[in-house]
Amino acid sequence: MLKITNLSATVDDGNKTILEGLSLEVPAGEVHAIMGPNGAGKSTLSYVLTGREGYDVSGGMATLDGEDLLSMDPEERAAKGLFLSFQYPLEIPGVPTMTFLRTAMNAQRKARGEDEMSAPEFLKKSKATAKALKMKPEMLKRPLNVGFSGGEKKRMEIFQMMMLEPSFIVMDETDSGLDVDALRIVADGVNALRSPERGLLVITHYQRLLDYIVPDQVHVLAGGKIAASGDASFAKKLEKEGYDAYAA
Amino acid sequence: MPTPLNTDALPSRRLEAWKWTDVRGKVAAGQAGLSVQSLPHFSVPEGVSVSEISGDDLRTDSPMADLARQFGGSVWEINIPAGVTAPQPLTIGNLSKGHARIRITLGAGAQLSVVETMQGAAGGFSNLDMTITLKAGAKLSRVSVHDDPADHLRVATTHITAWEGAQLTQHALSFGGALSRLETRVAGMGKNISAVMNGAYLLDGNRHTDMTSYIDLTSPDCTIRQAVKGVVTDKARGVFQGKFHVRRPAQHTDAEMRHDALMLSDKSEVRAKPELEIYADDVACAHGNTLGQLDESALFYMRQRGIPIAQARALLTEAFLAEAFDDMADEDLKESLLGKVRGWLAS
Repeated sequence: MLKITNLSATVDDGNKTILEGLSLEVPAGEVHAIMGPNGAGKSTLSYVLTGREGYDVSGGMATLDGEDLLSMDPEERAAKGLFLSFQYPLEIPGVPTMTFLRTAMNAQRKARGEDEMSAPEFLKKSKATAKALKMKPEMLKRPLNVGFSGGEKKRMEIFQMMMLEPSFIVMDETDSGLDVDALRIVADGVNALRSPERGLLVITHYQRLLDYIVPDQVHVLAGGKIAASGDASFAKKLEKEGYDAYAA
Repeated sequence: MPTPLNTDALPSRRLEAWKWTDVRGKVAAGQAGLSVQSLPHFSVPEGVSVSEISGDDLRTDSPMADLARQFGGSVWEINIPAGVTAPQPLTIGNLSKGHARIRITLGAGAQLSVVETMQGAAGGFSNLDMTITLKAGAKLSRVSVHDDPADHLRVATTHITAWEGAQLTQHALSFGGALSRLETRVAGMGKNISAVMNGAYLLDGNRHTDMTSYIDLTSPDCTIRQAVKGVVTDKARGVFQGKFHVRRPAQHTDAEMRHDALMLSDKSEVRAKPELEIYADDVACAHGNTLGQLDESALFYMRQRGIPIAQARALLTEAFLAEAFDDMADEDLKESLLGKVRGWLAS
């Protein structure tokens, strides 16, 4: 379970406060969505949880399965099972996708004290996963994300997520850049990962994605905190009425 | 016993070509190897001959070549006859200290791969003067590795004369030393010459490396590709000096020069001077030079996937450097160079 208690965070060397006392619990097995106006701090929340430099915690706590996330390095959080699907996935020239992913997987396993995945096993799993996401095998041979379209990059995020099988997933604007067909394929991939052990936090500006990945709860992030919460139907209401009522 | 080398004969910083590589300032009188001959080791493939000659008709305009002539003893002459393709590489090693002179001639249409591995003696001084002639249509692949101790001083100068249709592929890898200079001068004497002049340097501590090249084109339709990549950290210093001189008759020259360096510490230093001097009016020549750091966003992305920061840095750095070796035809040789790069990154 992801538990965020009274979390405050700043950017710009402490000059700009983005999150102000945000509290949220996402139990294992549930999918929660965070919606909100532009600039509300949705992406900041994803970076604070994953430990990006430049996003400083000024108060509060965040734990995953009872362990303090905020004191860990980004790679320790990843090994603990926290995965962020980036809004803008990075291009890594010169590093082939498969090398990157295998290095990541084995580094995580090593950090958890597990054995490395063998090369044939890794290859088999990646082939099956690529097939499920209708990805061309050539994409896996290219340097990571280099020359990929926005949609291809998002699909590659889901591919990595399915390969790494994290215990908690944060998805930041995964629907942007995807057409309806790609959205359905991505959502199928995400839904296949839903399980009683795994929690998901879906950050989105639009309700559209939530037609495919149906959340247990929907929260509005405004003014640096959770301003309102509801069930899946709340997303439709928000889409219709906008966020003005929750503006800080 | 000849007269010991007077260090005043060494190039000083007052010479434009040596302004960033101060040999005279770095060499101590009595430095091991300063006034003696060096004995190279060769492994010679079938079809290639090596002989020792004392006659001296080598004339170059380099002060280091003059010193090699004075202290290097006999010339090692290596020949591969016209039309012959050497089945294995010619390897040159053991230039651990002292002066050496090597002359390599590839007959018309001959093909040869040369692998030079230089591992200097601690505290030593080495000076290699090499002259290579590529007759019409000859093809040379050259790999030069400078893998010296931190207190070694090394200058290696190669003068290449290429005739019509000759092909040169050069890949240099240097880990620097107290001072290390890898200079290549190419005189293009015919049409349709093609040359790849790539290199990479990786420097830590107080190491210094200098990759200098001068390519002089006098005939039409030549193609030059140069990509030099550097990584410097601690207080290390990298120097790149590259010049393409395209003379009036050298129409349709297609030449590109790139130097890119990663500076991984505040006190590291990179000096770069890319130069084009063009007198022909129908050419495509370009040069580019960048200095930068590793991309923080890419590092965070890799760490978010679970890759520890040191490993993420090493992967990004290797990817950056590996581009210099992308076009190597010999996969085993390429892998051995990348292995050395990985070894450095892991240490």
